[in-house]
Amino acid sequence: MEKDYIELKVPSNVYYLESVRAFIGKLSETLRFSKKRIADIQLAVDEICSNAVYHGSTCISSGILMQVYVNTQKLKIVVRDKGKADTREWLTPKRLEEIQARRSPTGESGHGLYLIKCLADEHNLKQNNVGGTDVTAIFYRKERTNED
Amino acid sequence: MTGTEFMTLRENEDVKIVDVKADLSSYAATDLRKVLEKLLNEKVDKVVVNFSEVNHINSTAVGTLVGIAKRLRQNDGDLKLCNLASTLTRTFNLIGASSVVEIYESEKSAIAAFQ
Repeated sequence: MEKDYIELKVPSNVYYLESVRAFIGKLSETLRFSKKRIADIQLAVDEICSNAVYHGSTCISSGILMQVYVNTQKLKIVVRDKGKADTREWLTPKRLEEIQARRSPTGESGHGLYLIKCLADEHNLKQNNVGGTDVTAIFYRKERTNED
Repeated sequence: MTGTEFMTLRENEDVKIVDVKADLSSYAATDLRKVLEKLLNEKVDKVVVNFSEVNHINSTAVGTLVGIAKRLRQNDGDLKLCNLASTLTRTFNLIGASSVVEIYESEKSAIAAFQ
């Protein structure tokens, strides 16, 4: 199967994230992920997009771009934001490590990136060429074995 | 009334019960915080949040509940959660918040835990 590609552009407002979550849930259902895994994918996407709105956008029109790649092996989701030009608040792997080092179960924030790491089979953060961050989360369509 | 479409408020003697009527992503989490902070301002100290109609919760909402629980405990009160779907409990467990906020299987057991 060739790689299929879906693109979704959303205003930088958490108001729209419910629709994004519904979309990725339905797609995951179509791809025959288990109910538990669909919940994981929806939560990871919610966390990535919430971070993009809160930390990667200067205003509602900044927008976030979700790129979805599907093939027989995996579902790959890339969420791109444009960053905050004033703070240069990039969520680099180093920053992820810093946030995780400070994270506490009794804390009220800082759990989102940790959850993404727990839920996705693979994840990656990198600074993009539009001044923001690309967060990638990959979910394999079958349970991986030691042979994979 | 709570002033939000996502939650309703009831009471059982001196315990306030918040029924959450929507999945708790970042948008609805803002309303959850408003409702719980209003209860704090009204000096309510015993709060149960009922999740029987909730299928999703994100870290923003979990963080809100952790923060409110800590503030209630400062006033010798507490916040207890009940009727969580297994996917929600998993989110609390992954974050570690289930060691901070008490989770009960039913509303009855959550209320009884205040006695």
